[in-house]
Amino acid sequence: MKNLVIITLLSALMGCVPTLSSIPETAVKVGTSVSKAARPIAPEEEYYIGRSVAARILGSYKLLNSPDFTTYVNLTGQTIAFHSEIPFTYGGYHFAILDSKEINAFACPGGIIFITKGMIDLAVNEDELAAILAHEIAHINHKDGLGAIKSSRWTEALTVMGSEAAKQYTPGEVSQLLNVFEGSIDDVVKSLVTSGYSKSQEYAADESALVYLRASGYNPAALKEVLKNLQSKSTPTGGGVFKTHPSTEDRIAKVNERLTEYRVTDFFKIRSKRFSEHYSVFSR
Amino acid sequence: MRRIVFIMLLMLVPAVVYGETMQVITKENAIRADCNFFSAVKAMVKYADALEIVSTKGDWYMVNFGGKSGCIHKSALNKTAVQLAKTQGGSHAASNEEVSLAGKGFNPQVEDAYKKKHPDLDFNLVTKVEGFTVPAEKVAMFIKAGGLTE
Repeated sequence: MKNLVIITLLSALMGCVPTLSSIPETAVKVGTSVSKAARPIAPEEEYYIGRSVAARILGSYKLLNSPDFTTYVNLTGQTIAFHSEIPFTYGGYHFAILDSKEINAFACPGGIIFITKGMIDLAVNEDELAAILAHEIAHINHKDGLGAIKSSRWTEALTVMGSEAAKQYTPGEVSQLLNVFEGSIDDVVKSLVTSGYSKSQEYAADESALVYLRASGYNPAALKEVLKNLQSKSTPTGGGVFKTHPSTEDRIAKVNERLTEYRVTDFFKIRSKRFSEHYSVFSR
Repeated sequence: MRRIVFIMLLMLVPAVVYGETMQVITKENAIRADCNFFSAVKAMVKYADALEIVSTKGDWYMVNFGGKSGCIHKSALNKTAVQLAKTQGGSHAASNEEVSLAGKGFNPQVEDAYKKKHPDLDFNLVTKVEGFTVPAEKVAMFIKAGGLTE
């Protein structure tokens, strides 16, 4: 019996020590339709999709020129991103403000996040701003934008790409890929601007936002507070985020279920003060 | 006997995963002295650089690259066929993942074609937005001043 145990352990040592292939790899969890294809969309491809989606968004909204507040939003967003599952995307996270009173935000695949002035106006302190950004970062971490791409498009793209690693695309192949790429951009933009993500994706983004906020040191209850601010702005014909998201009341209820104890310290006042200082310049 | 079994069980825990190679999957990144976002930069790496994995520490890999060693976050690396990058210009049957990581798939060539078809879209603005970055050192100061968590 003793020999058997030793032999078994030796076998385990020789054959079952995990190698890197058994270590979870970066960004491989793509809970989307495109992941059902032969391979998921790679980080670099996600980046190029995101750039074109961003270009489309910027075709409809004007970029707000507010260097101080943009830097402040980027500091807050980057702090959250460092505490998410994917702190580093191919091109990194970039946060920009759109000059619109509409209450909205858009997480482009790859890491570009747009937030409207109307959405920023909902936040009354830094923790609430962080909560808004955390929700958008969660959409990028969850690859929800990519999930809007019809799986048939990606399957077609993979067929065009083929398996010859070193060759360049011929003009014909570029034309075919362009059609797929264009369709993919349309799918993502439609999801971001018109149809929205599914309720479950939105609830999951809220849930992850709570995790990121807590990990970053922000008060997770700020998400509930900013949702309450959002609820107070709700109108029967509301566009923007009201058109694309589940009912704010339901979101508040679900967030409430997941809130845990958080000890508010004097640093909350410090953060709120610096928010007010930056916001006073921004809102002039 | 119990002691032997215990020691052997301890040996089953892979404290070090040594010698395998992983590839950088971000445009650029930093190998840092310690395994945190704000530690001193020991070397800069760029997309497709191949790093030798020495061990893991939480969400970080300890790596060797160009004669220097340090930490890099796991989200910046992926296990791929690094050999592929070395065979650019030749041709061999590659997996789909290899094809993408060699710069195929949706790439600048496809984006250029999209730009030509949509001259109304301003990609310069997108590039401007990509310039909205904050250095890690500034984030560290922001975190500290706000009583946040590194």
